[in-house]
Amino acid sequence: MKNNMKKTILHGAGMIKRFEETEVLHGIDIDVYAGDFTVIMGSSGSGKSTLLYALSGMDRLSEGSIFYREKEITKASEKELEALRAGEFGFVFQRTHLISNLTLEENIRMAGLICVSLSEQETKERTAELIDRMGLSGAAKRLPSQVSGGEAQRAAVARALMGRPAVLFADEPTGALNKANTVEVLNLLTAAYDEGQTVLLVTHDKEAALRGNRILYLEDGMVIGELQLTPYRGRDEARENQLTHWLEGFRW
Amino acid sequence: MLLLAAVKRQKGSIIGIFLLVWILSACIFSSLTLFISGNTYVKEEMERLGFGELTIWVNGEGNALTEQIQALPDVEKAYAQPLIFSGYEINGGYSDNEGQLIVYDGTVDYRFLNADGTQMTAPEIAEGTVYISPAMQSGFDVTIGDTIQFELSRKDGIVSLTVAGYFADGFMGSSMIDMKSFLINASDYEKMQVILRNAKETDVLGRNGAMVHVFQREDSALSILEFNRKIQENTDISLHTEFSYRQKSILSYMLLLQNILCGFLIAFSVVLAAICLLVTGHSLSSLIEQDKKDMAALKTIGLSGKRIRNTYLTAYGGIMLTGLIAGLFCSRMIARTLAQGLVSSTGMLVFVKLPIVPVSLLLGLFLLLFAAFLMLRTRRILKIAPVQILHESVGGKIVSSKLRKASLEWDIAMREIRSRRRNYIALCLVAFVLTIFLSVVGRMGSWLGPNGEGLMNAFSVADHDLGVQPFNRDVPMDEIERVINWYSPIRETYELAMESVTVNGQEYEANVLNDTEWFHLMEGELPDGGSILITETVANELELGLGDTVRVAANGRAEEYGISGIYQCANGMGSNIGMSMEGYSKIGDITGFIWCYHYVLENGAVRDYAMDYLQKNYRGIAVHTNSWSGLDGIVAMMHGLIGVIYLVSAFFILISVALSTGKLLTYEAGTMAVYKSMGLSAKKLRRSLAFRFLIVSAIGTVCGLLVSAFVADGAVGMIFKNFGIGQFHSGFSILGNILPLLILPALFFIFAWAFSAKLKQVSIINLLNENET
Repeated sequence: MKNNMKKTILHGAGMIKRFEETEVLHGIDIDVYAGDFTVIMGSSGSGKSTLLYALSGMDRLSEGSIFYREKEITKASEKELEALRAGEFGFVFQRTHLISNLTLEENIRMAGLICVSLSEQETKERTAELIDRMGLSGAAKRLPSQVSGGEAQRAAVARALMGRPAVLFADEPTGALNKANTVEVLNLLTAAYDEGQTVLLVTHDKEAALRGNRILYLEDGMVIGELQLTPYRGRDEARENQLTHWLEGFRW
Repeated sequence: MLLLAAVKRQKGSIIGIFLLVWILSACIFSSLTLFISGNTYVKEEMERLGFGELTIWVNGEGNALTEQIQALPDVEKAYAQPLIFSGYEINGGYSDNEGQLIVYDGTVDYRFLNADGTQMTAPEIAEGTVYISPAMQSGFDVTIGDTIQFELSRKDGIVSLTVAGYFADGFMGSSMIDMKSFLINASDYEKMQVILRNAKETDVLGRNGAMVHVFQREDSALSILEFNRKIQENTDISLHTEFSYRQKSILSYMLLLQNILCGFLIAFSVVLAAICLLVTGHSLSSLIEQDKKDMAALKTIGLSGKRIRNTYLTAYGGIMLTGLIAGLFCSRMIARTLAQGLVSSTGMLVFVKLPIVPVSLLLGLFLLLFAAFLMLRTRRILKIAPVQILHESVGGKIVSSKLRKASLEWDIAMREIRSRRRNYIALCLVAFVLTIFLSVVGRMGSWLGPNGEGLMNAFSVADHDLGVQPFNRDVPMDEIERVINWYSPIRETYELAMESVTVNGQEYEANVLNDTEWFHLMEGELPDGGSILITETVANELELGLGDTVRVAANGRAEEYGISGIYQCANGMGSNIGMSMEGYSKIGDITGFIWCYHYVLENGAVRDYAMDYLQKNYRGIAVHTNSWSGLDGIVAMMHGLIGVIYLVSAFFILISVALSTGKLLTYEAGTMAVYKSMGLSAKKLRRSLAFRFLIVSAIGTVCGLLVSAFVADGAVGMIFKNFGIGQFHSGFSILGNILPLLILPALFFIFAWAFSAKLKQVSIINLLNENET
């Protein structure tokens, strides 16, 4: 799985995660390359979300190591992990998990206020820029409960991008959205990737997976396949067939 | 099954509520038990020891007077108990009042006490020994084995007796009463009689006297005031009376400390009850809010709202009932411990018995209150619609408040409070109620002062640092003043006499001043030769007011006086009047040794040193400060009470915060996880959560302080009025005004910080899962 042309930004070695008696990840080795749109696919219960949470430092491994830019984060203190989350990583959840008593604009701005590298003025400007980019001008002053699922998820993406993270993690961000909203959110992720953003997306949706340039397939806590695709440039039948054919190999 | 699940899930809340109710129950039932037991026991003891409705202390043997009294139609019986009046000295300290030496021969069944306050079998009093009230421990720091010197005559007239033990003096045992009885052996009593008989008139200091116990007939229609008046007017007793007290007055004196303690504990219990209801209500509302979806789901499968509500009622009602019963079980033990602890102040070991009827009534009242409250707070369960709630989304109103990088934790806290106000009302009210009560307690503490200055001033006729009363013309007063001046320059001096008089036939003490400016005047004008001052107590007792005319009599002479004003002096529970020297001279002899010279010093701190020196080096004088022997004990007890109230309040805050943080952390687990996922540290999140408690409690505290500024003095004044203290102004005090503002919010903050430690340990994923389940 080594790719000498690209720079590894995240490296996991012998990753094991157990929940009480159950082992969910069985010694996974994985590299995530800077500037890639990596997609992790797999059936339900294969451990994809667990892998994502471990790589993003949201959850601790039972065994194994994870390196971010060659620094081992599995040994990092809680304080160092907080700094990573505030400055280096952005996270989009399946359920938007916006803060219910903050407007969309405030939810986005909050990430900037927490991020150490952004000043108050920069946060303000970046918030305005993201609201504009995400097409949220009309909903920015509303609470999460007052907007559509698509708008809320776009705000969640904006929030994750606020601190210009080195890696954007997304855990099935379109899982709870209708088709139109799904496309909107995927377009945002694709746009970010096109601008050089490293994206690590977990999905079981083929449409979403097509946005990536590197697909990993997980089964029973092990990476059992990898597919390299050309970068997404709109609908491309050849790419779709390549992915479909590859997935069929896993009885998808 | 539902009930078990509810109890299991709410373990923390249930333990918290149990503790709150348990403390409340223990506090109120033990104070009620002590209050009722004390009042019943002391009254029974007075009757058992042979005290009638009226006790008159007379000089001489008193038998002739007894016969006169016995002959009156409203008198059931009267008898005289002989005694010797004598000044005494213990451990270098002189008593302001004379002691009363009584022979113990077993005729009167006194209860004897061990050094730890427990009861012992009646001993034989050996020659050379004396039994005293345990209250003298706090007044004179006296213990078994110490020597008491009774000065009966100036020449070879000192009798030294060793303290062999204590006895419960039902009539003057309390440290609130300066006169004290001493039980002695018959042969020592006889030796004293020999000294009195043989001493020259100019040397004799002690004298024979008697307590005349008067019992009113059961069918007598006279009030006790009228009964007393009738005795004074129809016998020669007024010519021999030293002082007299009604049983009811003595009962108040004896139980003053205990009643103050119980009064405050009962008032505190009311505050605790309010807090219990607030915290339980808050806990229940949060729980219903949290369980709404589950309830809706249960309704969809056919469970009725009433049945679901009953589950909650049973869980909460059951735990409150358990708390009440547990507190009730502990109350007798607590009351007994309190009673034993109070022996050195009250002088009595109160026999504590649970008063079944009042306790049952109070228990019933609490059960009704709790049941009504729970019914009210669970009404919402009935209204939850089965399907609607399953699809309900979290709505809300947009609240605008600043979010700034520099003060992010604070701003997040403000936003949470502003957008979820209802969640914080209970906490705010807890802080509000506690502040008012603690402010009242604090004001009382400030007024009391570290050495009991408030009580000293309230009970003394006029402010002073040192008082010297000469008993004969050999006392070199000029020299004594030079000594005092050596310790500190004398700023002011005036003279005071305290003499027995009757006002419209009722006996009172007259405080006579040569300079009336020193009276604590509350209303009206200072007295002159034709007028007097009365206290609020006397005004109420005799139904008198400014401008009324009264007949004041003493020494067989009587005169009409106008009432020029109302003044403050709690001495004798306020049963006293104020007169000018000129006014008193019309009915009394002002040339005798009745005057006590009062000195106000430039440096009052040296008064104790000056008093020690004078007591050791001059005979024939009584020296005192603006204090009395039992004051230290009272002050210690009051400070102890204030300390306990502060501690219990802190514990209540602890439980309230524990319950609230528990609920908030469960309710907001998802939000906390999201903040953490964005990189906000657990430390900052905890600080933000603690800030909410700080802000909310600070609002409650400020409101409480504002309200207490208007009501606290009035409330304390109202309590103190019952004890003869008519004037209470605390003014600004650190204890009453500043301390609650600093301490209460600080405690809320610290406890919230401590209880939110979970945020540090739990991973983001767990928090998110907690929210989703």
